[in-house]
Amino acid sequence: MSEDLKRFICLGCGFLYDEALGLPEHGIAPGTRWADVPENWTCPDCFSPKHLFQMVEIPYAAGEPHLPRVGPLAPPSELSLHVI
Amino acid sequence: MKTSFVIRAVARGYNKLRSTGPLASYISGHPEAVLIRHSSFNFGPYQAGHAGFGRLRVYGDEVFSGPGCGYNMHRHHNFIICAFVLQGELTHINTVGNIDQLTSGDYYVFSAGSGGKHCEVNLKNDDMHAIYMWFLPDQLLLPPSYRRNHFDALANRNQLVTLVGNADGALRLSQDATVSRLSSDTAVALDYVPRSASHGVYVFVLEGEVHCDDVDLARRDSCGIWGAERINLGTGPQETDLMIVETAP
Repeated sequence: MSEDLKRFICLGCGFLYDEALGLPEHGIAPGTRWADVPENWTCPDCFSPKHLFQMVEIPYAAGEPHLPRVGPLAPPSELSLHVI
Repeated sequence: MKTSFVIRAVARGYNKLRSTGPLASYISGHPEAVLIRHSSFNFGPYQAGHAGFGRLRVYGDEVFSGPGCGYNMHRHHNFIICAFVLQGELTHINTVGNIDQLTSGDYYVFSAGSGGKHCEVNLKNDDMHAIYMWFLPDQLLLPPSYRRNHFDALANRNQLVTLVGNADGALRLSQDATVSRLSSDTAVALDYVPRSASHGVYVFVLEGEVHCDDVDLARRDSCGIWGAERINLGTGPQETDLMIVETAP
């Protein structure tokens, strides 16, 4: 992931838009710049307009973000069952 | 260099939100309830003031009036939401698993982190008054959490007490910020020393009158100060109650 991809937080509720992740479930592909998110797009949680988001430079907590699994699940492996 | 601003009580954002009409899904209450919100900083429809203060983004002085008045269950991420009940009874329900009832002096810290919902409601006939603060977290998508505590104004009278932050008996915050409170019944003078000169201090008068450096603050007036090595605070001889938020830039 490019270092200069940015994160934006909704000031109405705290919803996070990460340019690196996009919002595929809302039709916004990973890597989509904030400037390229449609101007009439609103926060999926609280409907705040785009201009009420603020860029933040805050690191993720350990183990975050949980990325959605892309593609088919890996087949079960006996080896993986024994990895502790 | 020291910089400061003053926000007079009447200059804050003002919203009168009704439980009937277009906001019925947002505001709870029946048959009609009214929620009054004064915002020190820009929030929702109020965008004409300061954007926030350091890591503090929202400072709401709120009154829930009428049967069942409050905010219906709604979603948050990331923000650390603190409520300090001044009067009445607040029922707080969250998806961390808490149903809590808070009365005067009680307060909570609800960190929405990776996602949580909450409901804030006054189930009593008497008005509920509370101060709501929202802080940015120091990490995104933390595990959601809820903690509550009580400020005993009588036992701590005329002393500055840290309610939130890194101090004995205080609720911890995942952020470089503290919230303190002073409830006095006589004139108290104190020098408030921020953790560093880069930290900001926001002083909000709940009741009474406060002299803050060279500014006189009345009820619900506030001031924000950056770059001070120490801040000279004085309360009036009458009963006074004030909150102090200290935050990294």
